[in-house]
Amino acid sequence: MPPEPTHDERLAEFEARIARGEKIEPGDWMPDRYRQQLIRMISQHAHSEIVGMLPEGAWIGHAPSLRRKLILIAKVQDEAGHGQYLYHAAESLGAERQDLIDALLSGKAKYSNIFNYPTLTWADVGMIGWLVDGAAIKNQTMLTGASYGPYSRAMVRICAEETFHYKQGKEMVSLYAQGTPRQRKMAQDALDRWWWPSLMMFGPPDDDSPNSAVLMRWGIKLRSNDTLRQEFIDEIVPELHAAGLRIPDTDLRYDTDSGHWRTGPIDWDEFWRVIQGGGPMNRERLRARREAHDDGLWVREAMAAYASRLAVTSDQ
Amino acid sequence: MDTQWPRWEVFKQDRPDKPYEAVGTVHAPDAEVALLNARDVFVRRPECHSLWVTPEAAVVRLTAEELAAQPAWLDESPGNAAADEIYHLFCRNNFRRSMVAVTYVGQVVAASPADAMRQAVQRQHADDTVLWWVVADSALTRSNDDDIASMFEPALEKTYRDQSTYRGRIFEGRRRGGTVKEVPGS
Repeated sequence: MPPEPTHDERLAEFEARIARGEKIEPGDWMPDRYRQQLIRMISQHAHSEIVGMLPEGAWIGHAPSLRRKLILIAKVQDEAGHGQYLYHAAESLGAERQDLIDALLSGKAKYSNIFNYPTLTWADVGMIGWLVDGAAIKNQTMLTGASYGPYSRAMVRICAEETFHYKQGKEMVSLYAQGTPRQRKMAQDALDRWWWPSLMMFGPPDDDSPNSAVLMRWGIKLRSNDTLRQEFIDEIVPELHAAGLRIPDTDLRYDTDSGHWRTGPIDWDEFWRVIQGGGPMNRERLRARREAHDDGLWVREAMAAYASRLAVTSDQ
Repeated sequence: MDTQWPRWEVFKQDRPDKPYEAVGTVHAPDAEVALLNARDVFVRRPECHSLWVTPEAAVVRLTAEELAAQPAWLDESPGNAAADEIYHLFCRNNFRRSMVAVTYVGQVVAASPADAMRQAVQRQHADDTVLWWVVADSALTRSNDDDIASMFEPALEKTYRDQSTYRGRIFEGRRRGGTVKEVPGS
C-alpha cells in the first residue's frame, strides 16, 4: 500500500484537477474551506430565489391581463424551483436544508440585496425581469462553469429557464415605454429606482472583494465582479436607450477608446447600509418568509401524519 | 414541527425513446408526494414521459477519484449464485456542462449493492467515466402512463414559459401601429 497522501499533496491534486477543467463531485476529496465557501454561496443564492418570489408575488393579484398574470405566476413558480435546485446542490455538500432555512428565517443568512427594495408599481415587475434577471443571468451563466458538479448543473438548469424571465420583462417594459404618457412615466420611474441597485447586484468592486483570489483558483468564481458588471452595462445600456428610456446617470458616457459604457460612481455606502439591514424592505421580507413558514405548519404536519399512517398500514 | 422530510433522488425520462436522467432531489414524507414534488420542481416545462423517485440513501455512488483509490472494484469476482435482485445502472461519461448528474445505461442482476457496483464499473469503464450510480429496482417508485395526461401534458400548453415566445412579436406589432390594450395598474 502506498502511504496516505498528505493534505498538501491532496490540495495540489485537487487544484490540478480544477485547472484541467474536471468537476469536483460529492465523494471526491475537497478542502474544508472549499466546502464551506460553496455552502455559503449556494445557500445565499438559494435564499435569493426564495425571497425573490416576494416582491413580484405581491403583484400577482393585480396583473393587468390574464396573459400577464399567467406569465408572472409561471415566473414566481420558477423562482421557487430554482431555490430547490440550489438547496439540493448545498445538501450534496452535507448541509441540511432545515439548517439553511433556519439561518434565513433568523436573519443570519444573507440573500441578494436587490430584494430589499420595494415593488411600488406594476412596471417594477417588468423592470425586475429585464434588469434584475438580466444581471442574474450574467452571474449564473458564469457559474455554469463552476468547478463543483452539482452547482454547475443547477446553474445550467436555471439559465435554461431564466431567459424567459428576462425576455418577458424586456417585452413588457418596452411596450410601456412606447405606450400612453402614463405608461411611459411608469416605465421611466421604474428604471429610475432599479438602475443603481441592479448594478450593485454584482457585488462590491474588485479591490474590495478579499476572497476572490482563492475562489477563482478553485473555480467557484470565474470572473470578477467588475468584469461582469461592465459586461452587463455594455449590453443593457443600448437596449434601454432603444426602448426610449433615460438612464438616471448624468455621468453615463460611451468611451470610444475602450468601447465601453462608463457610469458615474456607484453609491457603495447605500449598498452596505441595505445589506446590513437598513434597506426599505429588509424587515418585511423576513416577516413574510416567517409567516409563510408558520402558515405552512399544519400542511407539513398533515402530510407527515398521512405518511406515518401509510407506513404503519404497509407494515401490517 | 420543523421536519425537512427525507430526500428523494429524481430520475426523469423526457420521451419513451430517451434514457432516464438524474435531475436532482426533492424532500417528501412518502414516495407518492415525492413524485408530485418532483413534477412541480422538475416538470414545469415539457418534456416528460415518466418519473422515478427513490430514497436518496438507496442510491449507491462511486466517483472516478474513489475508484482510483480503491481499484479492487475492478477485480473480477466469480459469478454469484445468490444474485437475484435487479439493479439499475447510471453513469456520467464526461465533465461537460450539463443539467443532469448521470444517465441510465442498463440493468444487472446482483446479490447486493456492492455486487451491483462491481458489475457497473466493470461493464462501464471507459477512461472518461467519472460517476457510477446503482439503485435497486425494488427501491424505485414510478409514475405510470395514466399520470401523463394530468401530471406532464399540461406543461405543453404553457408556451409563455418558453423564451422563444417573446421573439419580437409585440415589438413588431407596435412598429406596424398596433395598439396597446393593457392598462396596467387599473
